Amino acid sequence: MKEFSIVGKDVPRTDAEAKARGSALYTDDIRLPGTLHGRILRSPIAHGIIKNIDTSKALKLPGVKCVLTAEDTPKVKYGNWRLFPETQDEYPLAVDKVRFIGDEVAAVAAIDRDTAEEALDLIEVEYEELPAVFDVASSIAQGAPVIHEYCPSNISVNRKIKYGDIEKGFAESDYVREDTFKFQAISHAYLEPCSALAQVDLDGRITLWTSTQTPYIVQCLLASTLGMRENDIRIIKPYVGGGFGGKMELRTWEFCAALMAKKTGRPVKFTLDRQEEFLAGRRRHPMTIRSKVGFKKDGTLVSKDLRIQLDGGAYNAMGPTATFLCGNFGAMLYRYPNYRFLGEHIYTNKPPASAMRGFGAPQSLYASEVQMNIAAEELGIDPVDIRLKNAQVSGDKIPDVATISSCGFSESIQAVAEMSGWREKRKSLKPGQGIGIGCYSFISGGVFNWFNTQYPFSAAEVRVFSDGTAHLLTMASDIGQGSDTALKQILAEELGLRMEDIRLTTADTAMTPQGDLGTWGSRVTLMAGNAVIDAARKIKQQLFGAVSARFNLNVIHDIECKNGRVQATARHDYGMSFGDAVAMVQKANRGEPLVARGSYTPRGKGLVTPAFGFGAQIAEIEVDKETGLVKVKNMWTAHDCGTVINPRSVEGQLAGSIQMGLGYALSEQMIMDGGKTLSLDFADYKMPTAMDMPPSEVVHVDTFEPEGPMGAKETGEGLASPTAPAISEAVYHATGYRCKDLPITPEKILNATRDKAE
Amino acid sequence: MRLPRFEYFAPKTLEASLELLGQKGDGAFVMAGGTDMMVKMSHGRLKPRTIINLKEIPELHYIKFNPQNGLEIGSTALLSEVLNHADIIEHYPALIQAVQTMANIEVRNMATLAGNLCNAAPSADSAPPLMVMDAEVSLVSSRAKRKVKLMDFFLGPGATVKNVDEIMTAITLPAPRPQTGASYMRISARCGVDIAAAGVGVAIRLESEVLAEARIVLGAVAPVPLRAVKAEAALVGRQFDPETVQYAAQMASEEASPISDVRATRDYRKSMVAVLAKRAISEAYERSHARHS
Repeated sequence: MKEFSIVGKDVPRTDAEAKARGSALYTDDIRLPGTLHGRILRSPIAHGIIKNIDTSKALKLPGVKCVLTAEDTPKVKYGNWRLFPETQDEYPLAVDKVRFIGDEVAAVAAIDRDTAEEALDLIEVEYEELPAVFDVASSIAQGAPVIHEYCPSNISVNRKIKYGDIEKGFAESDYVREDTFKFQAISHAYLEPCSALAQVDLDGRITLWTSTQTPYIVQCLLASTLGMRENDIRIIKPYVGGGFGGKMELRTWEFCAALMAKKTGRPVKFTLDRQEEFLAGRRRHPMTIRSKVGFKKDGTLVSKDLRIQLDGGAYNAMGPTATFLCGNFGAMLYRYPNYRFLGEHIYTNKPPASAMRGFGAPQSLYASEVQMNIAAEELGIDPVDIRLKNAQVSGDKIPDVATISSCGFSESIQAVAEMSGWREKRKSLKPGQGIGIGCYSFISGGVFNWFNTQYPFSAAEVRVFSDGTAHLLTMASDIGQGSDTALKQILAEELGLRMEDIRLTTADTAMTPQGDLGTWGSRVTLMAGNAVIDAARKIKQQLFGAVSARFNLNVIHDIECKNGRVQATARHDYGMSFGDAVAMVQKANRGEPLVARGSYTPRGKGLVTPAFGFGAQIAEIEVDKETGLVKVKNMWTAHDCGTVINPRSVEGQLAGSIQMGLGYALSEQMIMDGGKTLSLDFADYKMPTAMDMPPSEVVHVDTFEPEGPMGAKETGEGLASPTAPAISEAVYHATGYRCKDLPITPEKILNATRDKAE
Repeated sequence: MRLPRFEYFAPKTLEASLELLGQKGDGAFVMAGGTDMMVKMSHGRLKPRTIINLKEIPELHYIKFNPQNGLEIGSTALLSEVLNHADIIEHYPALIQAVQTMANIEVRNMATLAGNLCNAAPSADSAPPLMVMDAEVSLVSSRAKRKVKLMDFFLGPGATVKNVDEIMTAITLPAPRPQTGASYMRISARCGVDIAAAGVGVAIRLESEVLAEARIVLGAVAPVPLRAVKAEAALVGRQFDPETVQYAAQMASEEASPISDVRATRDYRKSMVAVLAKRAISEAYERSHARHS
């Protein structure tokens, strides 16, 4: 393993102290004089035509400064899949029709939040209710109501993948099974509800502070929906309290804040409350997965036929990407010589599902992993051994996707089995106790350019100064995952500086270099990290030139940036401080500041991802056989994220993944009555708390990803997948109940074990 | 949601509070910790015109115990103070079981037992153990004082026998008697911090090895914390043995009349009452043994 001085160390997070002290400013904390407060009027019905909206009473309420309906807007549709404009199906405010309970119909800005809230009650909307559909089967049935005129089938996107010959594969298999899995919607439940604050200057340019994962996407889509030029809109991402995929699109309140600021000349702020977040917020896709797999007697996978229906809710949102990726996740992790996938994204009259940590992997891998466990049992093979037999390894080709470069999957399986005492515990646990395994593979950022950006996927600008400091500017967005710290570490490592020598400006579309597609798909460390290294190396070229000239170095000398110096690697006395070297370059360039731009765009890497992360996780649980309650007693994880840039940060990602995985497996679900979400607060939406967290141990498998910055790749998002299948297998081990429709509630366990007893 | 506009008072004496409450009449609410009221207000379910905060009144903020008279908890004593009180830990472990599952540390540092009772949620954790241990509450108005058995206090969700001009000043529990034991067991979907989906409080008294008295109260399975009289009758006069306990637990389950809601289904709640009752009876029995002297 390569030796680093800052990368790989437990460097404290750059945001830790501000967050611990409460001094970190989130969007809602920003106060501008004269700010108006906005609220959104939402549809109370699941499907209907808007016959009339009367805002006159609301406008007359003292303190109300602006009321918007679609009639006051340019009525331009938007969506993240700009490459395929027909998928852009959403208006900022409903035009003619509402499609789910919570759909945005109108907005009010007033001198305070209470007045805005009161004004909402004074807006009179006349609806003609239409029949609505709340599940995929009804939505694609004959004669089902059409949710979007352009899409009479209600199937908005489909994706097909096919290679090998699945029928031949099944014919050659000794063991074939088919299962159907169903998945519930869950909430991102980020701690910071969405918030946006817009200000307009005298030239009509807009600055928008917003809680977002994707400042560049918001900038572009805000420009197109407002009919403005992109450069006239500046998006600033302040501290963000989590996103998990739920904050990566243009949202109504961002649009309304900007347009209302333009109309009133005053700053306008919207902050959602938790109830709105639960009622109308994006969520993880409910899915129906039918999976048929064929194995040889010895456990070798031969064939897989996968059909997935995504319940997309009323709009596409990031559903097309989830549909696309489900097909890839279905064929990752193991070697599937014959594979067929059909994914369909289906509209229903429910709040739109969208990207959420894992982007289709938690569902698709749950199905893969549970079937792997069933097959292992029925073929009489240990679940660990059947995985080792089929595990992808470096050099494996996934047809039409990629060749896997670094891969520590088998090592992860072996390490986690070892550390958990798997082989002993599988045999010796008491009744009611169980141990189970789940694995994952995940992408390190996406390659498919659905947003159709003309800029590099990530960019960085590095400025260096004669006082020995550097300034890193990048649009990469830290939403709590720690990219600010990681990118600073990478730059400090590359330039031989300390963390405190680097000033950081991020995620401001007017100040940081174009472009960056944002924080999603575990792309930031790899892509922005590579952009930072690219810029730093250009700086180093110039510094090396100065040192070489100053000491008249033979051209065969290596030169390095280390410990605040620029020096010949073999002769440290042939060198000078970093600042002096910068000064020399500046002198040589007649005062010109030393600045370099770097970028990264994956090329020649197929259509999916430049690198894959891997890992395996084991859960040990105990089931109370009378109450059905599951207690997770221990979690062990071994994973391969390439070079670990910041161990503590990676462990934080792991802890967060386990917390989300526990919820997905055992307790979280959006409880719906038709189109109405009933779980509207944390009392009824059962997210695990700190007190539910099991002890956890982790091993980082040592690999080096050639495409990644200093060998690093994805971590944290892939980890969202293995927890549920690991717990599910442990529950089966403990009780004999095999769950194919998450979450594993106490009631399901009791019903299953009671049936078995009878 | 918009918070209603209201007048706010924080008098220093009980007398002044009662006077204010009388003057303000309908629409005036007294508040102790406020942890239930503020949530209701911000969800628009409660719209007080006047709030009278009791927390500035020193005479209501106490916990007193002596072995002869028992326990008295003033209405603004915090849940965290109850939880950490050495005498309560020693003599009333069933109450500790309830309080430690209520909300989280932050809320326990504000909330009160009196508030939990006056809020009268069917799922109030403190009600079943207090009821089975024969708690009484003191209700005071500017005209009169009275003591009411907690068994007779609840009328429905959010409704109690407390009149609008009355303030609950204290909760009293009799001194622990020899050969008695009590327990509270509850269940929820989330282990750490959650509202009970079902709860069972049990108190028993032994005479030699015979169950001489039994009290069983079920939480979150009826509009009020529900006394399970058939389950009690199934225990009284019998010896503690698995069949008796199982039968009593079954009775309790039959007496429960829960609803299905987002937290749990009716069937699950009913079957959990049996499990919890069995466990609580067993624990109360063990505790009655431990308290032989």
